[in-house]
Amino acid sequence: MSTAVVTNAAAPARKRAAFRPGEFRIIPSFEANAWMVAFAQSIPGKVTLLSCFGILLWYATNLHYPNPRWKLQIPFLILMTALPQYRRALLSISAVFWTFAIWGPWAEHPAPVQAAIVFVIAAILFRSAGRFRNSILARRPVATLLTGFTLLVMTASYLPHGALHYAIWTFLPVAGAYLWFIAYSLIDVRSKNADPFMRQAGTYQPFWGSTNTPFVKGAAYLRRIEAKSSEQLAIAQLKGMKLLLWSVALDLFLTYAYMPLVHGYLNVPYYDFVFHLSVQRAHFPCYQAWTSLISDFFEKMIELAILGHRIVAICRMAGFAALRNTYKPLTSKSIAEFWNRYYFYFKELLVDCFFYPTFMRYFKRSGRWRLFAATFAAAGFGNAFFHFFRDLNYIEQLGFWKALVGFQSYLFYTIVLATGIGISQIRERKSAAAGWLRRELGPLVCVCGFFCILRVFDYTYVRYPLSESFRFLAHLLGLIS
Amino acid sequence: MKLQIDRKPEIRAFLSDLLSRKGDNEPFSDDSSLLLSGRLQSVDAVAMAVFLEEKFNVDFAAIGFDQEMIDSVNAVSSLIETCN
Repeated sequence: MSTAVVTNAAAPARKRAAFRPGEFRIIPSFEANAWMVAFAQSIPGKVTLLSCFGILLWYATNLHYPNPRWKLQIPFLILMTALPQYRRALLSISAVFWTFAIWGPWAEHPAPVQAAIVFVIAAILFRSAGRFRNSILARRPVATLLTGFTLLVMTASYLPHGALHYAIWTFLPVAGAYLWFIAYSLIDVRSKNADPFMRQAGTYQPFWGSTNTPFVKGAAYLRRIEAKSSEQLAIAQLKGMKLLLWSVALDLFLTYAYMPLVHGYLNVPYYDFVFHLSVQRAHFPCYQAWTSLISDFFEKMIELAILGHRIVAICRMAGFAALRNTYKPLTSKSIAEFWNRYYFYFKELLVDCFFYPTFMRYFKRSGRWRLFAATFAAAGFGNAFFHFFRDLNYIEQLGFWKALVGFQSYLFYTIVLATGIGISQIRERKSAAAGWLRRELGPLVCVCGFFCILRVFDYTYVRYPLSESFRFLAHLLGLIS
Repeated sequence: MKLQIDRKPEIRAFLSDLLSRKGDNEPFSDDSSLLLSGRLQSVDAVAMAVFLEEKFNVDFAAIGFDQEMIDSVNAVSSLIETCN
């Protein structure tokens, strides 16, 4: 597993050493240079760092289309750097502005009132769990929250069209966007030094950006990774700068090198297009299925790295030494390790909300099946649950059960993924093979091959029957053309 | 009078073994964060949980589980004290 994913903000900066070719990095480790760390702690250093970061962030967010997010992000980064003692309070204030912006002027369908209602409900749940310690909400916070949300969605899906239907279906997508943030808050209620609700709210869709997956986890994690000294802040910010540079470099590579080369010069068709050809029963050669699938695998990986790096970079700049979301996935030696390195915060969400509760509570006398069951609860059930309730539009349009039937391909995906991770975890405990080919290349090819082929079933935004995924698999295997 | 036993050497040895199996031979103090810093992963947390259940009769089903509880040698030591 990833031992190198360490972001130790407290690590002292190394003195300048002689250059060694083996230590060459495309973007140097600024945070390892004692002079840079000292400079980043001075006022001219902070101004320089913030200016460079601000310009780069502005460039990065406007690279593909005009994006106003930097207008809120940069002022709050300046405030948090200038007033580190009020960092968490500023984070909560930024959440108010950010919430208003993303559900107001920046939203396609503005819903600021619904967002306010979600915050009120979250506060009530948080207070109730803290006050009634023996209630089911306090003892099983995630299970209770998710059951409540499921019942609400099920009920809403069968409401006749009218004012109530409209009101609930404009509320549910907003609630869905905050569901997992609230789950983290409820898990934190039992911590000895749990934050009050106002601080918890600062982590709900924070100003550094997020998807429905909480970046970077919840308040408990932020408490732990927050910079406690000027040196820790400088190191976190230098690492943030480095990560933003990586994000922009990858974005430029993807936009101006990878895509023109693969889809232009090499004429590899887009994967979605080839899959659609298969659905339409059109003929295409087997190699096109493979090239489009492999190119899509790398494209998605780079896109996720760009997004994750940018979010974590802003978080680090705010003074939180968060771990990267994507960290060297192509060095993975097992399926479980790849899953950990590919989308770290999604994996963490499933681990915190499904894996640990299952492992700590059930199958205690079942030996290795205990680990397998917990893995299934997270990578299987939790993964399917997350995606099914993320795409609420299908449930609204089709009704609950039809939407569930339409989800069959992704359900199959989660079963295979959970089985793969489960087996990988058990195998991982055995000693690694010797020799570069068997130790490095062999596992990498197997891991990438597994996830590439699994991609055939990974359909969430567009729903195809499972038979269509198997049909495309048959194309890949050359069984049909 | 309750007898105070120092569990830290045993905990340290277990964590050290866990880290070295992952090729991480960097030193760590009793207060060093191991899980939340990313040096150990969820599978390692599971190994730690099993170790605590079997060696010290810690029942996570009863007390609830949080990574912070087993994040460092000191945290684990205080958890054992609380449970016993």
